[in-house]
Amino acid sequence: MKKIGLFYSFNTVKSGQIAKKILKEFGEKQIEAINAEIVDEKTFLSFDNLILGVPTWFDGELPNYWDEFVPALRDLDLKGKCVAIYGAGDQKGYPENFVDGIGIMAELLESKGAKIVGYTSANGYTFESSRAYNGKHFVGLALDFENQPKQNNDRVKNWCDQLKKEFI
Amino acid sequence: MKNLDNIQVPIKYSIKTTDKKTLEHWFYLMVLGRAWDDRAPNYLKQAIGWSYHAPFAGHDGIQLAIGQVFDKKTDHLFPYYRDMLTSISAGLTSDEVIANGISKDTDVAGGGRHMSNHFAKPEWNIHNVSSCTGNHTLHAVGTGRAMKRYNGKGVVISSQGESSVSEGYVYEAINGASNEQLPVIFVFQDNGYGISVPKKDQTANRKVANNFTGFKNLRIIHCNGKDVFDSMNAMEEAKSWALKNQKPVIVQANCVRIHSHSNSDRHDLYRDDVELNYVSEYDPLGKFRRLLLRYNRFTEEELQQIEEKVKQEVKIAHKKGITAPDPDPASIFDFVIGEAYKAEKYPDGTHTFDGPKKKLIEGLNETLKAEFRHNPDTFIWGQDVAHKEKGGIFNVTKGLQQEFGIERVFNAPIAEDYIMGTANGMSRYNKKIRIVVEGAEFADYFWPAMEQFVETTHEYWRSKGQFSPNITVRLASGGYIGGGLYHSQSTEGALTTFPGTRVVYPSFADDAAGLLRTSMRSEGMTLFLEPKALYNAPVAATPVPDDFEVPFGKARVRREGSDLSVFTYGNTTHMCLEAADMLGKENGVSIEVIDLRSLLPLDTDKIIESVKKTGKALVVHEDKVFSGFGAEIAAQITELAFEYLDGPVRRVGSTFTPVGFNRILEKAILPNTDKIKEAMKNILDY
Repeated sequence: MKKIGLFYSFNTVKSGQIAKKILKEFGEKQIEAINAEIVDEKTFLSFDNLILGVPTWFDGELPNYWDEFVPALRDLDLKGKCVAIYGAGDQKGYPENFVDGIGIMAELLESKGAKIVGYTSANGYTFESSRAYNGKHFVGLALDFENQPKQNNDRVKNWCDQLKKEFI
Repeated sequence: MKNLDNIQVPIKYSIKTTDKKTLEHWFYLMVLGRAWDDRAPNYLKQAIGWSYHAPFAGHDGIQLAIGQVFDKKTDHLFPYYRDMLTSISAGLTSDEVIANGISKDTDVAGGGRHMSNHFAKPEWNIHNVSSCTGNHTLHAVGTGRAMKRYNGKGVVISSQGESSVSEGYVYEAINGASNEQLPVIFVFQDNGYGISVPKKDQTANRKVANNFTGFKNLRIIHCNGKDVFDSMNAMEEAKSWALKNQKPVIVQANCVRIHSHSNSDRHDLYRDDVELNYVSEYDPLGKFRRLLLRYNRFTEEELQQIEEKVKQEVKIAHKKGITAPDPDPASIFDFVIGEAYKAEKYPDGTHTFDGPKKKLIEGLNETLKAEFRHNPDTFIWGQDVAHKEKGGIFNVTKGLQQEFGIERVFNAPIAEDYIMGTANGMSRYNKKIRIVVEGAEFADYFWPAMEQFVETTHEYWRSKGQFSPNITVRLASGGYIGGGLYHSQSTEGALTTFPGTRVVYPSFADDAAGLLRTSMRSEGMTLFLEPKALYNAPVAATPVPDDFEVPFGKARVRREGSDLSVFTYGNTTHMCLEAADMLGKENGVSIEVIDLRSLLPLDTDKIIESVKKTGKALVVHEDKVFSGFGAEIAAQITELAFEYLDGPVRRVGSTFTPVGFNRILEKAILPNTDKIKEAMKNILDY
């Protein structure tokens, strides 16, 4: 498996906590953490396996650091890239936009040629709608610190095990 | 049905493709807007003014976009009190912003008459709107209707906060725009709060636009109101779609409110530090600036130059603003109501025509038709106004739709506020338009329209004469039909308390016709109260000259006398005449009966003149005595003719109760000839 680039905001609490778990699961040699706040096209393209930490802000938006990188992403050729996305949401407080950020990012990267991996089951979640849900699965790993914090560890571990098989 | 909500919004603008000149202009406008937004609270702290300021910071993207798509040559814009950047982006200058903020005479919205931060420029179709939040949605729909009737080439844009969508009239407005298929864009700027009330306490959907997904003909576009490009793309698409399809659009723009609701609010009482940090992190101006640098569209130095230019502009405007003239206190009586038509043919509103008698309802119907022939820019709508052979609940409008067509004569939904509010809005389109509405099926059903009625009374004064709502509001009024609480009550006691409207209440067919003609030819609003019990009553039938006109504020002596003056109007005029005749025959007394016809303006001269002659006064009306219109007349007589009085001014009217449905109750409550006769005797014996 090629080296993984783990992109998340180093200023975040929840995405940061998950990132630490992911780093531990893959081990230092297999994965490198990159601060999404200052990411550029060159760094992004330097990995073939990518994990992105994409939380959802407000009523279903990307956080500003990802949003400001979107114009750059729109011009990238991502063929051959394997991308997995995780993100936190609040399925009770924001049931209409649960982890929308994962879906928005997945849709964009897929349209640029990337292969999205790390789909997970939506069983065990209760929400009204989500751009991350494709009708069968979440197109990434949905985490809920507000309502299901105890499940985070298992969910992250299972997901990392899955990614070890799906990454190139 | 095609799902309009799934149509993609094309990406016309992006940080990489938008030309540099445009980006520069946007950045300049945003920095300028924010400079005033940040500076406004200082004027209050220094006791200079701007006591109301609702900061827009956090709404920057959508406000810039609204202003940028607005074309003053073709469009109409209804901004709300937070729309400072919208207004600047639409073209308001710094001089105009500060003049409004510190309420100077040079304020183009209305010379400091309206609350600060209510930006407008009626000359450019940027309308002066209420503080009653969201009620301009009805005006926008009315203007949209005019746009469609007159084949206008633009759109109407209405802007509001998401919480004000909770108001019932907003639903009426959007329902109407959907039903009438009007090119109106409703922008909901969603910052999550109505002052301190979170949006979860407003409606079940977090995005209130989704409440409207079942409305036909309506497209809903969601955008990020904090992002310039997303907002521009959304508004461009909304305008182009509304224009092409001649249908309404809702644009739901997600924003954040970085500051408190206004300077009277303290958001730290209900928002924690995490949230405050969170919203300031997504400062739209900061984001736009970062994008300009990140994608190498501007250098830091170039941006600083623009920021410096703004700083200088604000400095100059500030100096000019604080030395600008204040409003003149002597001007308060200017522009209370639009100019009345000069009834020159019949200057005192009387005639000697001796033709066949016509019923009051015929007088109204024939005058309506004559005025519709006279002025092609005349419209009428209301509940039941036009469906096949039916023409109004009492058939006053019978035959109008057949002769003038559905574009000018049409039914309204059962929504009185919509009827009134769209009349206000439609009359904004041009000054030629004259509107008649049946405000409700019966006058007592008019109360749901009160907020728009009150609003309409403010317009001319608030805009310092820039907008006159030229509307005649017809209402079938009063009792004596056994109608009970919603079919037999009177409303004029309450409705004569508002400056900015005329109120007339005829008793005879000729006066009804003459007053209606004058109302329909005048500027300003006239509340036209029709005594429905007299529509077909032989006693109210008179000869009616074809061209009869009755000026406002001219009472008519219907019976001359020397022992007692009776002032009355509407149904009770006939009772007073009957009682006076009876007493004349029984006791030989001479009673003068004056039909006021017009309550606002009131013919005080004729009242005082009569009291000076007789020395005794009785006021009679159908509405309640307590706090009724008669109280005003009695007070004026006491003030202006006290030394001529030989007794107390008496009043006869309804008891201070609702009007009962049972005829026995109605009789006990409403005035009648016997009660009036008794009061006349009482005064004459004093």
